[in-house]
Amino acid sequence: MLKVILRNMWRRKARTFLTVFGIVVGIFALTVLGGLSARLTQQVKGAKSWFTNSISIVPTGGSLFGGGENQFFTLSKVQEVQNVPGVKEAIAGIGLLVKSSQTFSLGAPDLIIGLDLSRSQDLLKQLHVDKGRGLTSGDRGKVLLGSTLANKLGAQVGGTVDLRGRQFEVVGILQPTLAAPDTFAFVSYKDALELFFKANPFITRGQPITSVIYATWDKGANPEVVSNRISRQVSGVRVISPKEAEKQISQFSLIFNAILFGIAFIALVVGGLSIINTMVMSVSERTKEIGLKRAIGADTRTILGEYLLESSVIGLLGGLIGMGVGLLAILLLNDATKSNNVTVFAISWLVVVGPVIFATVLGTLAGIFPALRASRLRPVESLRED
Amino acid sequence: MANVVLENLAKIYAEGDTEEVRAVNGINLSVEKGEFLAIVGPSGSGKSTLLNLIGCLDVPTSGHVFIDGVDTQGLNEKELTRIRREKVGFVFQDFNLLPVLNAFENVILPLRYLKVAGHERERRAKEALDLVSLSNRSKSRPSQLSGGERQRVAIARALITNPSLVLADEPTGELDTVNTCRIIEVMRELNDKLNQTFAIVTHDPMVAGYTRRIVTLRDGSVESDLSQQPADLHCDDKPSI
Repeated sequence: MLKVILRNMWRRKARTFLTVFGIVVGIFALTVLGGLSARLTQQVKGAKSWFTNSISIVPTGGSLFGGGENQFFTLSKVQEVQNVPGVKEAIAGIGLLVKSSQTFSLGAPDLIIGLDLSRSQDLLKQLHVDKGRGLTSGDRGKVLLGSTLANKLGAQVGGTVDLRGRQFEVVGILQPTLAAPDTFAFVSYKDALELFFKANPFITRGQPITSVIYATWDKGANPEVVSNRISRQVSGVRVISPKEAEKQISQFSLIFNAILFGIAFIALVVGGLSIINTMVMSVSERTKEIGLKRAIGADTRTILGEYLLESSVIGLLGGLIGMGVGLLAILLLNDATKSNNVTVFAISWLVVVGPVIFATVLGTLAGIFPALRASRLRPVESLRED
Repeated sequence: MANVVLENLAKIYAEGDTEEVRAVNGINLSVEKGEFLAIVGPSGSGKSTLLNLIGCLDVPTSGHVFIDGVDTQGLNEKELTRIRREKVGFVFQDFNLLPVLNAFENVILPLRYLKVAGHERERRAKEALDLVSLSNRSKSRPSQLSGGERQRVAIARALITNPSLVLADEPTGELDTVNTCRIIEVMRELNDKLNQTFAIVTHDPMVAGYTRRIVTLRDGSVESDLSQQPADLHCDDKPSI
């Protein structure tokens, strides 16, 4: 059966090739974007696990990554947050971009995070140190680097790195998480504050400030309830609860997934229509063959099945080739960007199997109309056809 | 029991219209099992339409077709397909072989629709090709066969299900004299050997002359229905083209 279908497809090589090629293009795009999306999902997942460990409190108008360089509040706010019932520790923090002019990046940006080390041990415990040690209370001029950032800076435990013009001793490097903390440099609050003042000379020096406060919660307390309480009791702040953090991070991938669905939709329409077109042509070309088959005993279901199978084979073929080429492109591109310590694409089973299933289902669906048409032909009339 | 019985059979196109065509107009006919008959008549006399009605490829406007005692009137498409599959073998003027299949695969096709097991299918396909003396061409595609060979493949395909009735519509229409003679020879041999009914539509008097009964149609009705002593076959031994 399959043999006959392949021979029928081979009989019209040029047309089969063009139809399959149309699907290949769509599926190729789908696979590559799928790889991109899978990578983003990895990063988002990692970012979520870090950012949902605490409640982030930023100046009104600030974002998840802190108040930015122009928004901050005084250290007295830390105490105010600390006083809210349910808060275990309020930790003063400062978020700074590693490069003052960071351009667009996929996922989390390279970030210096300054933390009050005497109070943030709970938070830092979430990080898994690969080499060296973690930061301890009283560390100054020391940095704990995420794996990607360490690679990018060529850092070694015991060596030094330059962060915004200042030398830091690398005490530890984190395990790769394939997500946000990989691009983070953890330092003490005081070191970060000095970098902050250096970057923003117009701010009165000496006035202790913070751009973000991380709050942990008492055991058994509901972080969402605690977040609400903080926003009610502390003025001039924006409280980002773990749930909201998750929502904000998800928005990154939401936009991207919308693009992905867009491409899938285009592939669906273009590929689907070209399969329908090809199959309708095959049916009218083979009207007489269909009549003959009906005459010698094929029932409508058999004819329906033959044409559906043929169109799903076209879909499957296009899907397999498109996915294969897409996968190859992903591997080559990942290899090309390896030297820059950037991984743009991830490969998951969904990236591999998804597009192939998509193409096959598409082929089958596109075959329904032509197959129905073929099966409903009246035997006498189709036999008369030339 | 008669193999085929037609009762007041009619097929009318564009009924009630001024253009109304009575392709088959009230035919009564009875064909016994194992008969070898020709249906002749001028073009437009309704020969092919009649054959299609007998073979359940087409449904009559009125009247009845009985195949082995079963009235096909009112049967649905699925039941008609079953009758075609089990009772009838078709041979067409333009052979109607599937170009992507070789001779063997073409012959085996009806058994696939009958859901016969694989090894049984192959055994019977070999046998059928043997009957039409084409065992040596079983791997050839239709495009590699001569007209006469193609029609022999088509006959093998019609016979493989062991139908009680073989309907041939101008089976020699595209063949030269030598091959025409050979095809009739094959059909007569098979008719003798397997006792299947053969109904052959033809406008070739030579072909009609080789049959035992000639039904002549005119304007959709039976003009004459005569039995005869069939002419002897003397096909030349020239190799087929």
